[in-house]
Amino acid sequence: MMEAPTIVIIGEEVGAYGGAYGVTKGLLKEFGKERVIDSPISEAGFVGAAVGAAMSGLRPVAELMYIDFSGIAMDQIANQAAKIRYMFGGQMGVPMVLRTQGGTGRSAAAQHSQSLEGWFLHVPGLRVALPGTVSDAYHLLRASLRLADPVVFIEHKALYVQKGKLDPTQADADWGRAVVRRPGDQVTVVTYSRMLTYALAAAENAAGHGVEAEVIDLRTLNPLDLETVSDSVTKTGRAIVVTEACLTGGPAAEISARIQEECFDFLEEPILRIAGEDVPIPVAPALETSSVPTVELITEVIRKLVR
Amino acid sequence: MNLKMPDLSTTGSPIKVVRWLVEVGDFVERGQAIVEVETDKATMELEALGPGTLLQQLVPVGSEASAGDVLAVIDETQAGSTVIGNSHTANEVSYHRDFLLNLYERMLLIRQFEDRVKALFLEGSMPGTIHQCQGQEATAVGVCAALRPDDFITSTFRGHGHALAKGLTVQEMLDELFGGVTGCCKGKGGSMHIGNIGKGMIPGIAIVAGGIPVATGMALAFRMRKTQEIVACFFGDGAVAEGAFHEALNMAALWNLPVLFVCENNLYGASTRIDQVMKNTKVSDRAASYGFRGETVDGNDVLAVYEAASQAAQECRSGRGPVLLELETYRRSGHSRRDPCHYQPKEERAFWSANDPIIRFAQALLVDGNADLDDLDRIQKRVDDEIESAVEKAKTTPKPGIEDLLTDVYAS
Ligand SMILES: Cc1ncc(C[n+]2csc(CCOP(=O)(O)OP(=O)(O)O)c2C)c(N)n1
Ligand SMILES: [Mg+2]
Repeated sequence: MMEAPTIVIIGEEVGAYGGAYGVTKGLLKEFGKERVIDSPISEAGFVGAAVGAAMSGLRPVAELMYIDFSGIAMDQIANQAAKIRYMFGGQMGVPMVLRTQGGTGRSAAAQHSQSLEGWFLHVPGLRVALPGTVSDAYHLLRASLRLADPVVFIEHKALYVQKGKLDPTQADADWGRAVVRRPGDQVTVVTYSRMLTYALAAAENAAGHGVEAEVIDLRTLNPLDLETVSDSVTKTGRAIVVTEACLTGGPAAEISARIQEECFDFLEEPILRIAGEDVPIPVAPALETSSVPTVELITEVIRKLVR
Repeated sequence: MNLKMPDLSTTGSPIKVVRWLVEVGDFVERGQAIVEVETDKATMELEALGPGTLLQQLVPVGSEASAGDVLAVIDETQAGSTVIGNSHTANEVSYHRDFLLNLYERMLLIRQFEDRVKALFLEGSMPGTIHQCQGQEATAVGVCAALRPDDFITSTFRGHGHALAKGLTVQEMLDELFGGVTGCCKGKGGSMHIGNIGKGMIPGIAIVAGGIPVATGMALAFRMRKTQEIVACFFGDGAVAEGAFHEALNMAALWNLPVLFVCENNLYGASTRIDQVMKNTKVSDRAASYGFRGETVDGNDVLAVYEAASQAAQECRSGRGPVLLELETYRRSGHSRRDPCHYQPKEERAFWSANDPIIRFAQALLVDGNADLDDLDRIQKRVDDEIESAVEKAKTTPKPGIEDLLTDVYAS
C-alpha cells in the first residue's frame, strides 16, 4: 500500500477493528479511511464495488471475512470479475484481489469452516492462490497484487497462529510456480494451504519408517504448475494429492487427472486422493478433526503406497 | 378456537352468511355476536364461545355453509390474554401477576445462562465461539410471549436468548454447546446453530440475513397450506444492509405473508456502529418503502415489546402481514467470545446499563406490587439451580462418535 497508492481495502471490520482475525490491524491508522474502508455487511455490494473500482483505475483488495460468505457475492465474482475481460473483448480487466479465509480448526461449524477453492477453480477468468507458509502469506499476496486479473486469495484460519520467518526484502513470490518443500524420491505428495503443514509432518513420520516423500506446495491452483509436479512424479512414480476441500468434484480430482494425463507412462501406482469427507463441517471438535485429512492418515497412505 | 356452523336447519339445506358483525383483528367477548346467518326459516346471530381475537372470516358474505363448517377462527391463546381484562388496548391492559413473573423468569434465565456459558467458555471447557445476548433479553422474551406454541421463529448466530424464550431447555442447549450428541443438533451445530423445530425454532442461521428469505418462505407455506401459524424472524441491524433482507421484505409484502420481521437493533454490527454503515438509521422506515407497516419500539421494555409483537402477530394472522418491528436494545457482552468491546464508548455503556431490561422490569414489578424481593430471590434461585444442574450433566454428555460423522447429510 505504501508502494501503490491505488491499492484500497474494503470489507467488513477491516478498519477500526483490524479484521476479524487481525489481518488488517494498523492499516486504518497508517493509510486512513479513504483507503481502508469498513463496509456495511453487504458482500454482493462491496465485492461488486471492488470490481467496478478495479475497472476504473484502483486496485482493490476486497475482504470476505469468511469464504463461506462468497455465495452472497458469487455473481460479482464469477459473472462479473471473472468474465469482464473476455466478454468485453479485452477492452478492460479487473485487477483486484478477493482476500478471504477458510478451512476447519476452530469449531466454527458448517457455515464458517468450508474449503471452497474448488468453486473458484471452476470459473475461467479467476486466478486462485492459497498460501501455506508465513512467507507466502506476504510474498504471494504481493505477487497477486501485481497481476492484471482477479485473484481469489484464500488463507487458512488455522494458519493465522503459525509462526515463521519473514524477509520483507526478498522478492515477491514467483507467481504460478509450485515449490518443492521437501525433497524425496519414493512418492510425491501434492498439496497446498494448511495441508502442506500436515503433509510435511506426515513425510517426516514416513521418513522414520524409511519412506522418502517429496512434498510439493502448489501455492496457486490457477495457474496450476504442472511442470514442477510432473518433474517430481516422473522421478517418484507415485502421487498422492491432499486437500482439505471435500472429495467429490474437488480440486484433488482436477489435480489427479492432470497428473495422470501428464505422467501416465511413469506411474507405478494409481494416483491417490486424500480429501475432506463429503460432509458439512460439524462443530464437535473430534468430529471436525475427523472430517478432514489428518497427519496420521496421510502418513499411513504414504507408507502403504510405497510398501 | 373455531366458530362452527351449528345444525340449524332441519332440512339440512345450506345456511347463508348474511353479515359479519366483527372485523378481523377485533377482540370479541364471550357471548358476543360474531356473524349473522340465514336459514330457510329465519335469520340469527352466532356468538363467540369464549373471549379472543377474531383471526379469520372463512365464509364470505352471501356464501353458504353447512352444519359443521368452520366459519371463523378466534384466537384465545395469546399468552397475556390469560387475564387481559376487558379491553385489548395497550394502556388499559392489566396483566396477571403470574404472566409478569414468568416474563421476568425467562429474561433472568437467559441472563444467567449467558453469564454461566461465558464462564465456561473462558475456562476453556467449551469449543468454538459464542455470540451472547446479555442486555437483549426483553426482545426475545417479549416477542416469543406474543407467539403461540405452534408458531415459529428463525434466529441467527446470536440465538441463545431466542431459544430459551421459545422454550428450548437449558439442557439441550448446554449439551449442544459442549458438542454433545444429546444436544439439540446432536453436536453438529453448536452455539451458532441452536434450535429445535419441535419447539417452533428453526436452528440459528449464521449467515447474516440468511434467515430472512427462509422465514419468508415458511410464511408462504403457512399461507398456502392455510394454517394459522406465523413466523417471527429475528435478525440484527447489520442484516439490513444485505440484499437478502430487501428481497425478502418485498416478497413478503407483495404476498401479504404472515411473517413478523424482528430487527434487534443493538446499534452495532460486530464492532461497527450502525451510523457508520447506514445513513437512515431508523430501520423500521424500510417497511414503508415496501408497502407495509414498520414500528420502532423500546426493546428493553419487555411489555412494550410484548404488546407490539402481539399486535403485529394479530395482523399477520389475519392476513394483514408482514410487519417489521425494530426493537432498540443494546448488547452488553462482546460481539463474540474474544471481543473486548473497546468500541463501545463508556458513556454509552453506562446509559444502557442503567436501561437494563431485567433491572427495569424488576423495578416495575416491585413498584407495582406484583412482586417483592423474596419473590425475585426465589426466582433467581430456581433459575440458578436449573442451570447448575444442567451444567453438571452437560459436562459429561457423550460426544458424537466417528459413526455419526456422515449421518444426516442426506435423508437416506
Ligand atoms: C453474510 C455474513 N457476513 C458477515 C458475517 C460475519 N458476522 C457475523 S455477525 C456479524 C455482525 C452482525 O451484526 P448484526 O446483524 O447487527 O447482529 P448482532 O451481532 O448485533 O446481533 C458479522 C459481520 C456473517 N456471519 N455472515
Ligand atoms: Mg447489531
